[in-house]
Amino acid sequence: MSEIERRALMKGAALSALAFTAGGVEVLLSPQQARAQNIAFKTLNADQVATLEALGDTLVPGAKQAGISHFVDQQLSIPPEQALLEARILNIRPPYANFYRAALGAIDKASKTQNADRGFAQLNDTERHAFVDLMRQNKVDGWQGPPGPFVYLVLRSDAVDVVYGTMDGYAALGIPYMPHIAPEKRW
Amino acid sequence: MANAKVDVVIVGAGASGTLYASVLAKAGKKVVLLEAGPDWQLSDLISSDFWGRRVKPAGVPFTFEGKNPYGYAYQAGWGVGGAALHYFANFPRYLPNDFKVKSEHNRGLDWPISYADVAPYYDKVAAEIGVSGDATAEELWRPKGAPYPMPPMKTFRNGDVWKKGCEAAGIRMVPAAVGMNSTEFKGRPACIYDGWCHVGCPIGALANPQVTYLADAKKAGAEVRALSTVTRVLTNEAGSKVTGVEYYDAKKEKQVQEASVVILAAWSAQNPRLMMNSATDKHPKGLANSSGLLGKYMMAHYASGTWALFDDDVENHMGTVGAQYMSYDRYDKTSKKGAFGSTYIVAGTALKTSDLGGFANARFDLFGPQLADFMKRAKRGITRLTAFGEEMPNIENRIELADGKDEFGMPMAKIVHSFDQDAVALWNANFEEGLTIAKATGAKEFWSARGNQPTIHLFGGTIMGNGAGDSVCDSYGQTHEIGNLWVAGPGLFPTEGASNPTYTIFAVSQRGAEQLVSKWGTVAG
Repeated sequence: MSEIERRALMKGAALSALAFTAGGVEVLLSPQQARAQNIAFKTLNADQVATLEALGDTLVPGAKQAGISHFVDQQLSIPPEQALLEARILNIRPPYANFYRAALGAIDKASKTQNADRGFAQLNDTERHAFVDLMRQNKVDGWQGPPGPFVYLVLRSDAVDVVYGTMDGYAALGIPYMPHIAPEKRW
Repeated sequence: MANAKVDVVIVGAGASGTLYASVLAKAGKKVVLLEAGPDWQLSDLISSDFWGRRVKPAGVPFTFEGKNPYGYAYQAGWGVGGAALHYFANFPRYLPNDFKVKSEHNRGLDWPISYADVAPYYDKVAAEIGVSGDATAEELWRPKGAPYPMPPMKTFRNGDVWKKGCEAAGIRMVPAAVGMNSTEFKGRPACIYDGWCHVGCPIGALANPQVTYLADAKKAGAEVRALSTVTRVLTNEAGSKVTGVEYYDAKKEKQVQEASVVILAAWSAQNPRLMMNSATDKHPKGLANSSGLLGKYMMAHYASGTWALFDDDVENHMGTVGAQYMSYDRYDKTSKKGAFGSTYIVAGTALKTSDLGGFANARFDLFGPQLADFMKRAKRGITRLTAFGEEMPNIENRIELADGKDEFGMPMAKIVHSFDQDAVALWNANFEEGLTIAKATGAKEFWSARGNQPTIHLFGGTIMGNGAGDSVCDSYGQTHEIGNLWVAGPGLFPTEGASNPTYTIFAVSQRGAEQLVSKWGTVAG
C-alpha cells in the first residue's frame, strides 16, 4: 500500500464514513444517503444492482432502502485494504468484485433458467424466497458460480450489515449501541 | 537498500513480537519491529463491526485445503498489534495435562517442558499487563499460583443464566480470567462493558499491545516500521547464522535489515512460509528444517456453541466479548466417551448484531421476514455458551509453499487442514452437553450453533521439542539448527490444549525473551 493509500486509509479511519462521488466532488455519505441522492454506481452495472437490491431485500427486509447496492458498489471501487465487506474476513481473494460479479451472475442465470427467462429481480416475493431457500441449501439446479451456501453467507452478511449493523439499525431494534468511538454518519 | 545493523529484528508486531521487543529493548538491545500492516493507533478503533474489519488482512497469501479448511482472515491480524489488537482477551491457562499428552495417553506429542516451567511466567505476565480473575477459584483445576492483580470482571445476566444449567450438569463455573481491567491498572482505565473488544478497545481497558508491550518497547527505544513485508531471512555463506532479513517497505522498495538475532513472530502460518522461502543450498528444505517438520502439525480449535433464548432481558448488549465464566470440568483428555481431547467451556458474552459472531447468525437458516422477527425476539433475550475443543497434532495438517506468488514475488503457501474422528466426536459430544445445560437453564428456546466445524486459533508449524530430530525449535523458541534464529508464538506449541492460547503465548514468549537476554553473548551473530 502506498503512502497515498495509507493516508486515504487513515482518513477513512478518522472519519468512518464512506466516500462517494457526486457531481465530480467527493462527499461523505452513508449508503442510505447515497441511494437517496441517486449517486452513480462505479463498479456494478444496472442488472447487477437490480439483482443485488432484490436479493438484499429478500435476505433482510430493508436492505435495499438501507443502501446495500451503494455500500457494495462503493466498497468494490476502493482498494481491498480499505474494504469493510465481510468478504474480507471470509478468505475471499481480492479483487472482491470478481466474487460479486460471479455470485450475482450465477443467481440471475439460474433464475432465468428456471423461470422462463425472468431474472431474480423480476421474480415475485414468493419466488425470490423459494429461490434463496434452495440456494442456501446448495439445491439450485444447474447452479454455476461460487457455492450457493457461501453466496448466501456473504450477501446475507452484507444485508445484515446495512440493516442491523449501523447505529440506526441498533436504534431501530432498541439496543443501546454504546460506542467508544462512534462511526460518522451513524454508520 | 541496507540499513544500519541492529541487535534484533522482529518480524511481526503482534502479541509475541511486541513482548519480545519490550523485553529486549528494556535490556538495552537495539530493536526493529517489521510489521506488514499499518501502524494502528487507538484512535483508529471505531466501535463498529464493519469498520473493525480493517484491522484484519484483506487477501492473505495462502490457499486453504483439506476437509476443514482453515478460516484464516477472521482471526488474523494485519497491522501493529496483530491479532491481539482485536482478540477477545480471554486469558485461561493451559493445564498440566496439556504438556504431557504423549506420556499420559500415548497420543499426540509432549512438550519438552511442563506446566511448572511456564507457571511463573503466567504470573509475571499478569503482573505486567493486568489480568482480572479469581486465581484461588481456578485452583480447582491447577496448581496454586500468584493472585491476579485485579478482581474478576462484573457479570451480567447473559452469563449468570448459564450457572444454573452448568450446575445441573455438574460443571463448576468460576470467574473467567481475562486480560482486561476490572479496576484501573497502571494508569489504564477500568472496562465500561460496552462489548466492542473484538474490533479493538480504544480506551486501554483491554490489554492490547498498543497499551502494553508495544508501548513499553517504544518507550525503551524500539523502532516500529509499519507496512514492511518481510520476504526472506538471510543467512551467512556457511548457513550457520542468520544475518538479517529482506523486506519491502511502505513504498514497496526492497530493503535489507541486518541484525545479530532474527525473531520470527509473524504467526503460525507465515513463520514457516518465510523459513521455507529462505531456503539455501545449506538449508535446501527451508531454514531449520533438517527434521522435515517445518510447517507440520498445524492445529486449530473448534467450538460447539449453544444458543438460549429467554423471554426476559438478559442484558446481552452488556459485558465484554471475553467470557464471564469458565470451566475446566471437561478438560480431562478422556472426559467424553468415544472422543479424545480437552474441552474448555465459557459462558456469557456481550453480543452485537452483525459480523460472524453477531446474533443475526444465531439462526443462520433464517432470512427475510423470519429473520426480522427473530432479531426482534432475540435482541434482549439471547445468550450463548461455548465449548472449545482440542484436536491432536497430525503431521498431515501442514503448510507448504504453493504455486503462485504474492505482490512481492514471494511464493504463496497452502494450509492443509482436516479434523480427525476424535475431534469430530468431541465437537458433537460438546453440542449434546450444551443442549443439556441449556435445557436446565429454563430457557424458552435453545439450539446448537451447528454449521461447518469451525477452525479457531492456529498452532504448530514450528513446534518445540527436544532436538532437531523431533522438532524445529527448543522450548524457548530458539531453532535447533541456527542459534540466532528464533521463533515466537503459538507455532511453537506441540499440542494446543482447548483453552484460548494468548496467555500461554505471552508466558512462553516471556520465558523465551528472558532466555535470549541471558544467553545473548552466545546467541548473537
